[in-house]
Amino acid sequence: MEIFNHLAIGFSVALTPANLGFALLGCLVGSLVGVLPGIGPVPTVAILLPLTFYLDPVSGLIMLAGIFYGAQYGGSTTSILVNMPGETSAVVTCIDGHQMARQGRAGPALAVAALGSLFAGTVSTAIIAAAAPPLAKVGLSFGAPEYFSLLVLGLIAAVVLAHGSVIKAVAMIILGLVLGMVGTDGNTGGTRFTFGTTMLIDGIGFVPLAIGVFGIGEVIANLLQPERGRIVITQNLRDLWPSREDFRRAWPAVLRGTALGSLLGILPGGGATLSSFAAYALEKKSAKDPSRFGKGAIEGVAAPESANNAGAQTSFIPMLTLGIPGNAVMALMVGALTIHGIQPGPQVMNERPTLFWGLIASMWIGNLMLVIINLPMIGLWVQLLRVPYRLLYLGILMFCAIGVYTTNNNPNEVLMTAVFGVMGYVFIRLRCEPAPMLLGFVLGPLMEENLRRAMRISSGDPMIFVERPISLGLLIAAVALLLLVALPAIRSKREEAFQEEAL
Amino acid sequence: MFMGIAVLGLAVSWDYPIGTAVRMGTGYVPRLFLWILFGLGLVVMVLGLQGSGEEGADDPPLQWRPLVLIPASQLLFALTIDRLGIVIAGVLMILVGGIANRESRWHEVVISAVALVFFVWVIFVWALGLVIPVWPGG
Repeated sequence: MEIFNHLAIGFSVALTPANLGFALLGCLVGSLVGVLPGIGPVPTVAILLPLTFYLDPVSGLIMLAGIFYGAQYGGSTTSILVNMPGETSAVVTCIDGHQMARQGRAGPALAVAALGSLFAGTVSTAIIAAAAPPLAKVGLSFGAPEYFSLLVLGLIAAVVLAHGSVIKAVAMIILGLVLGMVGTDGNTGGTRFTFGTTMLIDGIGFVPLAIGVFGIGEVIANLLQPERGRIVITQNLRDLWPSREDFRRAWPAVLRGTALGSLLGILPGGGATLSSFAAYALEKKSAKDPSRFGKGAIEGVAAPESANNAGAQTSFIPMLTLGIPGNAVMALMVGALTIHGIQPGPQVMNERPTLFWGLIASMWIGNLMLVIINLPMIGLWVQLLRVPYRLLYLGILMFCAIGVYTTNNNPNEVLMTAVFGVMGYVFIRLRCEPAPMLLGFVLGPLMEENLRRAMRISSGDPMIFVERPISLGLLIAAVALLLLVALPAIRSKREEAFQEEAL
Repeated sequence: MFMGIAVLGLAVSWDYPIGTAVRMGTGYVPRLFLWILFGLGLVVMVLGLQGSGEEGADDPPLQWRPLVLIPASQLLFALTIDRLGIVIAGVLMILVGGIANRESRWHEVVISAVALVFFVWVIFVWALGLVIPVWPGG
């Protein structure tokens, strides 16, 4: 069995003391930002991105991945104990999780969330290991026209599954594509949009953009929001173990959540948040007695928490095999790889098996660590909930500035960060999701390159995209997706799906 | 009404790169994208003007302090880091950042500034050995 050989390579990489350490560090930081409201995995990964440039690429990726799925664990803690989501993907967990805590059953709620996540993490890691090689083979057979069409499909799918206005999301992607074109044009050597300054000749840095929009922008938004008091439910935390009845009820919900999350994670634009909402809706719909939900039903904790972890992990699949990030964290990972000189895509698995399989193996190890981090050490995280935002944001500011500066030792990039920070707040204010913009920014140069290459192959005939069967199929899928969203029936469904989130 | 103003601002900011793109673009790719962007901006504006403006209703009122001082703290850091070093630039940034929040307390901000600068020095300069100016002229 090839897969076992691969996993053996992976574990031999992931189990080195250094990489174990970085996985643990990532999981700890992830749990921390997951627990703390006001800072999530996207800004954290953005802020810590520059640090990874001084690490081995494998170690860097292992740490960043740990932050992402670690945040899924930590987020549930805050949801259950404070009734305030530590993380957007844990919003639905508040509904039943906090009710359980009020009934004095915070322990079982936390335990089910963590064990469900561990199960989901194990299954989805196996899915990645099994699904990645065949997908990468498909990816390798793609030429420039197919790649261009695939990118179009990926970006459109990201829009369909993003929240808020579809038109705004499309506009944000295109804005990202345009921002990606600033600087010297690799093909002609001409400069674009530099406004005659030398500062922009090398293009807009990925790090200043990401940190500005996600880090600084959110700090501004949070400071404008008055700080709400938090009531932490801390009693009964010793009694962690769920009862037999809890297990009986939670088990099928964990299975369903894992399946749904794994599926939605693979789709571009999917990932943790969408998965948890969908899983909660599914539980409520399929339950014999839906009225129990909202009053502390354990399924309402088990399903979304399993789903968000599964979704977080399977969202690595398109990034690792095709080089196409499905969400903002994956876009950041692509940025990290690119800065290390690794072009993400199907060739990564063959050219750098240690990186690829090491990362996958580390995910499973990380999930195991997270259960230990989150269950016995729950008291520590509860203490952290008492850190007020007025102290937290000072630290965020510091790490934003120093992180950007150390990327290239270039103060101009910190300057750009400030500009993008203001831009980031404007986006939040205007209900424009910044994540699609980041996807566009990362994929922009790739898209232009493939478009130009395709045009050279066909000597300027755009029909090449419809004449090649795979390319045509992908484009049809993209158009179909767009039409689906445009149809009124689906639109109302989609609005319904995101409605609960608004509450 | 709020949406109208907001979207108008959007349209203006989107008009800006379009104007320059037509003159500066090498190759047609940026031009292509910018026209699509222009069209979408128009649609968003029209929709926004038609809408009732509910979306912005629950927005917190704008305050100048976070809006101006948070970016300003980063600007200050950018301008001072190379000449004054991480210690002074870092403390200055945190102090300005601290004023940005009305709920800040002075002693907490000062303690945080010192602690954070020390923390950053330990991680980046001492542990990772990066070349960051620490003191003025250093």
